[in-house]
Amino acid sequence: MSILKITPERCTGCLRCELACSYMQTGEYQPAKSVIRVSPFEGHTSYAPYTCVQCAEGWCMTACPVGAITINAAGAKDVVDDRCVGCKLCTIACPYGTMFYDPDTRKAFKCNLCGGDPACAHACPTAAITYEDVATSDWLADFAAERTQRLLVGV
Amino acid sequence: MLTKRAMTTATPPLPGAYAGKLLRVDLSKKKCWAEPWSPADMRDYLGGAGLGAIILYRETATRGGKGNVAWDHPDNRLVLATGPLAGLPVWGTGALTVVTIGAMTNGPTSTQANGFFGTNLKYCGYDAIVIQGQSKDWVYLYINDDVLELRDAKSLIGLDTWEMQDALNRETGLSGHQLSVYGIGPAGENLVRFAAIHGDYGHVASKNGVGAVMGKKKLKAVAIVKGTRALKAADYRGTVQAADDIAHDLRTDPSAKSLYEYGTLPGVVNLGKLGALPIKNYTTNVPYDDLTNWEAPKLREGFDHRGHQCNACGMHHCHMQVIRGGDFKGSIVDEPEYEGWSGAGWAIGARDKEGVSWLNTQLDRACVDVNEWGWLCGWVMECQERGLITEKQLGFRLQWGDIKGSDRLLQMVNRRQGFGDVLAEGVKRAAEKLGGAAKDAAIYTMQGCSPRGHDHRARWEEMLDTCTSSTGTLESGVPVHVTELGLPARINPFAGEEVAMMVAGIRGRRHFEDSIGICIFTGRTRLENLCRALNAATGWNYTVDESMRFGRRVAAIFRATRLRCGIGPDLEKPSVRYGSTPHDGPAKGQAIGAQWAKMIDLWYEKVGYDRKTGKPSPKTLKDLGLDWLAKDLWGRKA
Repeated sequence: MSILKITPERCTGCLRCELACSYMQTGEYQPAKSVIRVSPFEGHTSYAPYTCVQCAEGWCMTACPVGAITINAAGAKDVVDDRCVGCKLCTIACPYGTMFYDPDTRKAFKCNLCGGDPACAHACPTAAITYEDVATSDWLADFAAERTQRLLVGV
Repeated sequence: MLTKRAMTTATPPLPGAYAGKLLRVDLSKKKCWAEPWSPADMRDYLGGAGLGAIILYRETATRGGKGNVAWDHPDNRLVLATGPLAGLPVWGTGALTVVTIGAMTNGPTSTQANGFFGTNLKYCGYDAIVIQGQSKDWVYLYINDDVLELRDAKSLIGLDTWEMQDALNRETGLSGHQLSVYGIGPAGENLVRFAAIHGDYGHVASKNGVGAVMGKKKLKAVAIVKGTRALKAADYRGTVQAADDIAHDLRTDPSAKSLYEYGTLPGVVNLGKLGALPIKNYTTNVPYDDLTNWEAPKLREGFDHRGHQCNACGMHHCHMQVIRGGDFKGSIVDEPEYEGWSGAGWAIGARDKEGVSWLNTQLDRACVDVNEWGWLCGWVMECQERGLITEKQLGFRLQWGDIKGSDRLLQMVNRRQGFGDVLAEGVKRAAEKLGGAAKDAAIYTMQGCSPRGHDHRARWEEMLDTCTSSTGTLESGVPVHVTELGLPARINPFAGEEVAMMVAGIRGRRHFEDSIGICIFTGRTRLENLCRALNAATGWNYTVDESMRFGRRVAAIFRATRLRCGIGPDLEKPSVRYGSTPHDGPAKGQAIGAQWAKMIDLWYEKVGYDRKTGKPSPKTLKDLGLDWLAKDLWGRKA
């Protein structure tokens, strides 16, 4: 299946992905409700987006006590709003921090790959986010380690 | 309400893309409150420069509209405004326009920066911040959705702008774009006349001493948390389509492609070839270093890089640099704009690129205008070389290209120490104080605004534009996609009449761009595209003609405020050195002074302003739909 591949070195921190995502997910521009988020490194000099890696383990699905997380046609784990009771167990179970809780709707929400045509990948001006048929990976691990180390030991 | 309008029973719907509220702050009373503004005012004034212009005009008058408050008066307004496109997916829409009565000219100002100011502010629910009054103690304004607080800023005093943002990040537990901070450094605290407002590590609203205004109000910073509110667009798909078309133009159009690839770096070589690179305080037009060493790819490859773009922007423009070697090895700095390579480089005779890059960020940290720095520091260097400023007077010897000496001078100016106190008034006032040959060597405009970082003796349109400006800096430039406005694609840059026609012909476009909330560089697309983006976002139907009429209305309002400040047509000329004739280089012998009177006369005729009083004529105002302003300016005669 195709997933969102993140190449953190290409990200410039413009946050266009958050705008596009929030529109697809909520019908409005509201980065606070985006399910892709850009994280700063080294304080402010490096940025990288992170979102659900669609991991094989599917910790969120395992944790959900009411079976509200299913797999959609694009192969993405997706929250079924009618079933979600807002217990937040999935947000605790997810090791990547990419399960979110909306206090307005009292439901969990996450990346569903926009049903197979992710808006963030279209929006990214530097191809830091691409939609490709590749094996899933922890895209930020090496980048984060390197940038954090640089901060700790100096340049 | 900004303007009085007839009451209607139905409330018109809020246009798309607006937050719908202005954030008012009275520092004297220590109060903050949200004030709705009307959809009709949004349509008429848009945001940014347009919104700021009408607020300044309405709220800073004295003596029944015959006079105006001075820059340091508590009733001066400091307007920090976004625009309708701010926070949307259109490239370069971080959108901060600062409008105030500035300290350099003591007249109106419109100066821009980007980063994430506009984005964070609008997602907190506000289109602009309007600040009045003066605080007794140092404060900073904290904005987090509905939480509006004037917080004690004692611990931030003396910190430079980068240190201040670090401190506020620590205090709030936020980092990156989660917190947008715009504020002043030591220069603004000490009322240095050319102090700037800086934010988000490398973005500066630098013109006309806006930092001194903020300092006078004892407001160290504005810190805006990335808000949680939503913005609607009238047509989401249309907004994205217009944004993508603008991006396509920027990537492929010859007038923007190099900006897309390298930001403003190519300016060094390109302007050098034209004789428009300012070299050693205009003492020569011949580069002292091989220009091929200063080509954009070489400037960029000389450093390690991190992209550091503004909201939703895909330009390869704003960067963070890591200095690889030399005295400043390991420093993280903001890649200088062309203006930095000129003001912290060529204007002061520097060759060391790593040093220039480091000094440029020192200027941002102290927070002064890099253009004025070039004219001031270059002037001191020349005056020392010629014995017009002695070593004893200055306290040390400052020679051409001395980066560390330049930083030493900056710290003196910054804190108004010794001769730095005289220099802190800017090069015009310092030169006028010294008088004689020193005065004739200084680069300034007679109304007081700093020229941008070029040798305008080879770029006449900018000299004419800066001298006649009502915004404390370049007002109408630069010409872009001029054929869309019915103007010729190319002119002879040394034919005064052609230059005047061009400067008058483009008048309005800049004001429109600065009102919708887009960067000067990503706005470098056809006006038609900008109108499409605005219309898709808001649901309006702006045309190219209407956008130009809008801009000219804003220009007329700024002009009316300027005249009220006592800045008349008699001050619309360059200083002796600024208006001199180059004696060498590509523009050798091109004498703007010989054509100046003719250029000014023609410019006045073409913009429809009265040559004698400087006022927009009654007919011009009527044509622009500004009957109310005609009455203010001309009384019953209108």
